[in-house]
Amino acid sequence: MNLAYLFIGIFTGSLHAMVPITLTATGETIGESAGLFNIGLEGIILFSAMTGALGAEAWGAFMGLVTGLATGFAMGLIFGLINTYFKGVQLITGVGINLAAIGMVSFWLIHLGIPGHHAVPKESQLVNIPTAIGNISPMILVTIALPVIVWILLFRTKLGLKIRSVGENPQAADVAGINVHLLRLFSTAAGASLAGLAGAYISVAWMGSVTKGISAGRGFIALATVVFSGLNPLLVLLGGFIFGFFDNLAVWISTMPAVQKVVPWQLISMAPYIVTLLIVAGVIGRVRFPAAMGTPYMRE
Amino acid sequence: MSDNTMRDDSRVILRGEGICKGFPGVWEHLILDHINIDVRVGEIHTLLGENGAGKTVIANCLSGFYSLTEGQIYVKGQPVHLKSPKDGLKHRIGMVHQELALVKPFTVAQNIAIGLSGYDFSFPLREVENRVRELSKRFNLRIDPTARIEDLSAGEQQRAEIIKVLYHDPEILILDEPTSLISVDAQHLFEVLHNMAKIGYGILFITHKIEEALEMGDRVTVLRLGKLMGTRKSSETDKDELVRLMFGEHEPAQLKRKAVHSQRVVFEVKDLEAAGMDEAPALCGVSFSIREGEIFGIAGVSGNGQSELAEVVTGLRHTSGGRVLIEGKDFTNSSPQKIIKAGIAHIPEKRREVGVIEAMTVAENVVLKDVRTSPFSKRSFLNIPYITNHTEEIIARSGAIVSDLWKTPTRILSGGNIQRLILGRETWHKPRFIVAAYPTQGLDAKAIENTWELFMELRETGTSFLLISEDLDEIMALSDRIAVMSQGNIVKVLDGVHAKREEIGMLIATGH
Amino acid sequence: MKDWKRVTRERTKELRKSITAGIIGFCVGALIILAYGYNPITAYQALLSGAFGDLYGFSESVANATPLILTALTFAVGFRGGMFNIGAEGQLYLGALAAVSITLLRLPPALSFVFSIFAGALAGIIWSMPVVVLKATRGVHEVISTIMLNWVAHFLSFYLISRVLVDPQRAEKTISIARGARFALLVPGTSLSYGIFLSFAAAALIWLFVWRTVIGFDLRAMGYNQDAARYAGIEKWRVLLSVFVMGGITAGLGGAVHVMGRPPTYAVYSGMPAIQNLGFDGLAVAMIGRNHPAGIIFAAIFFGGLLAGGRMMQLFAQVPLEMVRVLEGVVVLFLAIPELSRIFSIFKKKKTQTP
Repeated sequence: MNLAYLFIGIFTGSLHAMVPITLTATGETIGESAGLFNIGLEGIILFSAMTGALGAEAWGAFMGLVTGLATGFAMGLIFGLINTYFKGVQLITGVGINLAAIGMVSFWLIHLGIPGHHAVPKESQLVNIPTAIGNISPMILVTIALPVIVWILLFRTKLGLKIRSVGENPQAADVAGINVHLLRLFSTAAGASLAGLAGAYISVAWMGSVTKGISAGRGFIALATVVFSGLNPLLVLLGGFIFGFFDNLAVWISTMPAVQKVVPWQLISMAPYIVTLLIVAGVIGRVRFPAAMGTPYMRE
Repeated sequence: MSDNTMRDDSRVILRGEGICKGFPGVWEHLILDHINIDVRVGEIHTLLGENGAGKTVIANCLSGFYSLTEGQIYVKGQPVHLKSPKDGLKHRIGMVHQELALVKPFTVAQNIAIGLSGYDFSFPLREVENRVRELSKRFNLRIDPTARIEDLSAGEQQRAEIIKVLYHDPEILILDEPTSLISVDAQHLFEVLHNMAKIGYGILFITHKIEEALEMGDRVTVLRLGKLMGTRKSSETDKDELVRLMFGEHEPAQLKRKAVHSQRVVFEVKDLEAAGMDEAPALCGVSFSIREGEIFGIAGVSGNGQSELAEVVTGLRHTSGGRVLIEGKDFTNSSPQKIIKAGIAHIPEKRREVGVIEAMTVAENVVLKDVRTSPFSKRSFLNIPYITNHTEEIIARSGAIVSDLWKTPTRILSGGNIQRLILGRETWHKPRFIVAAYPTQGLDAKAIENTWELFMELRETGTSFLLISEDLDEIMALSDRIAVMSQGNIVKVLDGVHAKREEIGMLIATGH
Repeated sequence: MKDWKRVTRERTKELRKSITAGIIGFCVGALIILAYGYNPITAYQALLSGAFGDLYGFSESVANATPLILTALTFAVGFRGGMFNIGAEGQLYLGALAAVSITLLRLPPALSFVFSIFAGALAGIIWSMPVVVLKATRGVHEVISTIMLNWVAHFLSFYLISRVLVDPQRAEKTISIARGARFALLVPGTSLSYGIFLSFAAAALIWLFVWRTVIGFDLRAMGYNQDAARYAGIEKWRVLLSVFVMGGITAGLGGAVHVMGRPPTYAVYSGMPAIQNLGFDGLAVAMIGRNHPAGIIFAAIFFGGLLAGGRMMQLFAQVPLEMVRVLEGVVVLFLAIPELSRIFSIFKKKKTQTP
């Protein structure tokens, strides 16, 4: 087998796998910079995969992606509302979202016909661009551009400063006249909308189907990627690629019986999660989180 | 309280009339009781008073951070209603807070930028940096706009905060205890403020230091417990009069007692050093020793290292240098558990946040520390009957009023009752050493009397005390020796019997 | 007179919260059912009668509750100690497989029974230890470590099921628990086994541990207020260890009890359809049961009932039983709001204030 061919194949596969993780993590960077830790990303990805698929079938692939984006935004609003104005516990809200999403998606799948699985018809899928190294989804280009855009937003605009101030020292932001709750709400909703886009990508542009397990823990890996990146969107791109690489590797190996004899696919599948854990463990001492992240803001 | 400076009515730029402020549910009396104060163009007006006098509160009222319960504010003769600090800035009133409202990882310019109105997707940093440099030069407040707050020294951070306020072009500047941080360059600040006054700013300068008040201010206003004590021209008054206005006239006697007969030292600290909040030094080499059956009182305005001292001594804060010796044994940086086992009791400063666990029941809180020992627990199991019995005794003895022992969370008790419980808990086993931080804060007169009696009783049986209090009456009544603490150091140790109120007041207010 | 009113309010506060969240959940569910063109009333009727209407339904409900009580305890103990332990999912998988693996030793049945239970508990403890180590040494938040370990356990289990513990006769499942080493059925013809008593016992023991021992006292104190706990001399690492050891034991037991009491095969199928989600459902049960063993037992039976009745709802009202999952999620979502029962009193107040 041509080795170059092999590497290119792995490379493009990794690029595709990188998309959902990087998009979600980039969005979460905005939310965490504002101080909210959204553990419900997994549920948002899953639910948006469903709505995105339906949107694509109704109005075409592009609208499918937009539907996913809007779904993510709406779910982000719910999460944000509960955790700002209602002073909810962020971790539990996130778990609630995850559970509800699994339920809704399974429910919907049955309603649509085949319990457990829904295939997105080819016409509704996003068309890949043929390039020298194989077919590339246009979303990959979006995924490379977005972290840069978000970086500019967070570090080169006044809005970005405000967002980060709300996460670091909400009292100081309040004194400076910023509406802390509102800004946190919108930051987390904006971030969640990227997770929604990621979900839609999975069903409409990558795997072409919806199952109740289609998010496969990617929401959580995205959270770990955010830790790894220290809330720097540019590093999210790097982290996303690394995790995407392992994610893709597992899938790829499961299709090669020769390798299977030596290394069972299940053990490779574990790799992304073990790697995530090791990287987080190694990095966590050196990473700095916004001082007020995770706690609801209460003005005295 | 005649104010003989109001005759010269010229160019009053800020005036507060009859200002009252009450906080719901905190005190029965007002935090501010009919305060009249004014600031003139080109004047530095100092506001002087002890902690708890209400200085910060009035400042917050005048700048728009707090709303007034009663009274009226006038800017340039016009009545105004300030709803927020932004309102204050609109009326050209700027306030520099004692606790800096700065985002640590941001630069000076970024901190200013978040408060600016205007297009959110702009990035005006360049402009802001230039203007900061300009202001920096104009007012001689050297600061690098691109420096991150967390990299700056305390003094520089303060300069940043001042520039942040100046950026909005105020005409009136209120500064709350600007020299209370240890490393602040006070002299330089004074020059800057004097220059500003000359240009025409009206400055209200809040402090608890008498000499500073006299040096800085053209006029001095003294507050005590929320009441206006008087306003004087600084050229027409002196330290003694100000001390009298600040601390009052009457001379409480030290409680009758037998002299401390034992010379045995039970507790000693040597050259203690510790960092406080934000890594600023809080203890700068504190040393003293306490004998058996002695009450050692630490007087002084809080914020000078007293809290940190109490925490270091009880194992709750790390000390970077120096030693803590209990009965000769080294307990420096020991865990709280070891120190508790050594028989040290601690009545903490923050009774609701640290002294009890509000969500737990009364019985659980009473045995919070003892539960680990027999007979409160037998072979790891809680001995409920014994605990119940014990709690009932403690409640009876301490006079706390509780509804039940095991059903309702302690949160619903009043602050006074919680303190009674804590006192009962910490003293029942007649510890040989008690660290008491502000032990009678919030208690009514009867409870204070009972507490003092209890302390004196324990003293008779040989218990030693490290007493920290802002209540000078308390310090003078209880202490065998009085130490005044200022800026992380013990300034002087006085004998409790012979110390005069004014002398202590002077030490506290001047810091040396 | 006012006193007992206040005490009752205080005590029932937690109960009222769960009921409020439950009501909201059911309302939202009704809206969704309606939106799909089904009848919520028939749906809920079928749901509840299927769950508790007859002996069979009730037995199935309690049978479903058996592992849920245990995984709920895992989360609850963590929560009481101020930690977020969501590792029950992975610990349960490995607990179930550990119990099954004892069969390979071909011990006399009674011994096999006992060893399976211990193996389950041990597996749970072992899988919790990395979380403790990472948190204590590197400060890794238990949320991330438990989630990652859940996924690792997920794939590890797949591997063990299809390669190591596979049944030589039927490749789609593991070997079964030996005949004499199972939990006997409490109600014949149902799935309800004597394993439920183990769950009850575990709940009782956890109650004893958390509310009647010194370590439990320390645990609760630490969960309420870390600063005050430190002041009182409580040491954090001890609490950390006890939370995850206790949690590991109950989660592992959850897996063991489930597989040892699950007719007809008493084994784990590849893809783990029966034991998937038991960990996360346990979290929901713990929240609904307000993280207290007594509440957990009731909440587990209630939730087990929803799962059992779901089938009836599907049969009679054509509403897919996954609706139950949606209800679960919405209820947990609303339970995340700390002063949930207050929200309604705020609305009431507003109404009376406008003249």
